[in-house]
Amino acid sequence: MRIETDKDLCCGAGTCVLAAPAVFDQNDEDGTVILLDAAPGAEQRAAVMEAAERCPTAAIRIV
Amino acid sequence: MTQSRESENRSARPFPTARPSGCPFDPPAPFAEAREECPVTPLRYPDGHLGRLVTGLQSARAVLGDVRFSSLPAGKRSPVKVPGSELSTDALPAGMFVNMDPPEHTRYRRLLSKHFTLRRVRELRPRIQEMTDRLLDNTESSGGPVDLVEAFAKPLPMLVTSELLGLPEEDRAPFGHHVDVLFSLSSSGEEMQQSMVLLAGMLHALINAARKEPGPDILGRLTVETELTDEELLGITTVLLIAGLETTTHMLALGTYALLRHPEQLAALRADWSLMDDAVEELLRYLSVVQIGPIRVAAEDFEFEGQSIRKGEVVTVSLPAANRDPQGFEDPDTFDIRRGTTRHVAFGSGPHQCMGHHLARLELSIGYESLLRRFPRLELAVPAQDIGTREMMVTYGVPKLPVRW
Repeated sequence: MRIETDKDLCCGAGTCVLAAPAVFDQNDEDGTVILLDAAPGAEQRAAVMEAAERCPTAAIRIV
Repeated sequence: MTQSRESENRSARPFPTARPSGCPFDPPAPFAEAREECPVTPLRYPDGHLGRLVTGLQSARAVLGDVRFSSLPAGKRSPVKVPGSELSTDALPAGMFVNMDPPEHTRYRRLLSKHFTLRRVRELRPRIQEMTDRLLDNTESSGGPVDLVEAFAKPLPMLVTSELLGLPEEDRAPFGHHVDVLFSLSSSGEEMQQSMVLLAGMLHALINAARKEPGPDILGRLTVETELTDEELLGITTVLLIAGLETTTHMLALGTYALLRHPEQLAALRADWSLMDDAVEELLRYLSVVQIGPIRVAAEDFEFEGQSIRKGEVVTVSLPAANRDPQGFEDPDTFDIRRGTTRHVAFGSGPHQCMGHHLARLELSIGYESLLRRFPRLELAVPAQDIGTREMMVTYGVPKLPVRW
């Protein structure tokens, strides 16, 4: 699984950090997404799917 | 499905507000009928305007995430006449980012988001717990019964917001009064206008004070770290107030009421506090207190989910309806704190999704748990049929919740 995030779309809601804290973080300056792990293991799959689905601006893509 | 303009005109419904009798937690019944027809249906506005109503979960997310459905105030109108909806929006202060589209909206949002990140909000936990415990001390020592709205659900978000904005202790009572007037069913347009002016005056004074002596609160930091003008800061603080107080207050009170009316769910929660986070999500979904809007205006003609949207059409999303969509939730009308789903849109969706959602979740989980732990025998102090509801308000809830313990 590989993840891409779109910083321009990101509104800094931080929903992804709630869903998958091992994969996503928030920038302290503007709240936007920081991708901690662009290719996480299978054990993160469910959490990452939830983060992508819940992202209010669809700024997370699983490729 | 594409309908002709005439048939849309004929089938357009008014926006329903009446809750089914005896079911204060269920959305008005016509929403489900509309959703069964189509997740986006024609809607008649009070002035005759023909617009649309969104009742499906996926459609709600799609509309709120699509910038062709604009948040700009021009042409926007409320689907029902609620107190204050006739007030002019022409003179809105700069910085009211809820009424903006990207990229202007994005600029404000980026400046503010840093104060509402999950990390920042979690740092507030001990302070919020302290405020909650103090309020409950006062409530307990009164002996009861008390109106939980006045004793707990109003003051808690007020204390938290005051601290975030650096509002001095002595200003909190008049501040709370003006906010009450703005959100009360019984206020006249004139009273609201007056409270709006007085509130703006208080916020201006607060901004001046923050410029002279910036504190560690959000307002203090915004004066130091950004180039925002006084006018912009006024708009921002107004938005934070409107967004942060009323919604949290009614979630706290209505949520407590919902738990008291579902004793088997309440017992399960009391038996296992680790269910608290799931319970908060389910209360957010099941109650969806923002009952009128979000409202958008089509910025151009375009096709959306097979329908021809015309420029200027006003689109109202019903969050309570979307959160009861059987396509999104199994057995959606059942209140189940073990549901474990977070896919609801209680905080909206898209770039305008509530910025304070982490804070709201924290206030709710600390609020419910502390209240229920403090009063193991909490119960209504009046028969359930005597508890009123706020149907004609943007935020649903109970005006009073008399309880004893």
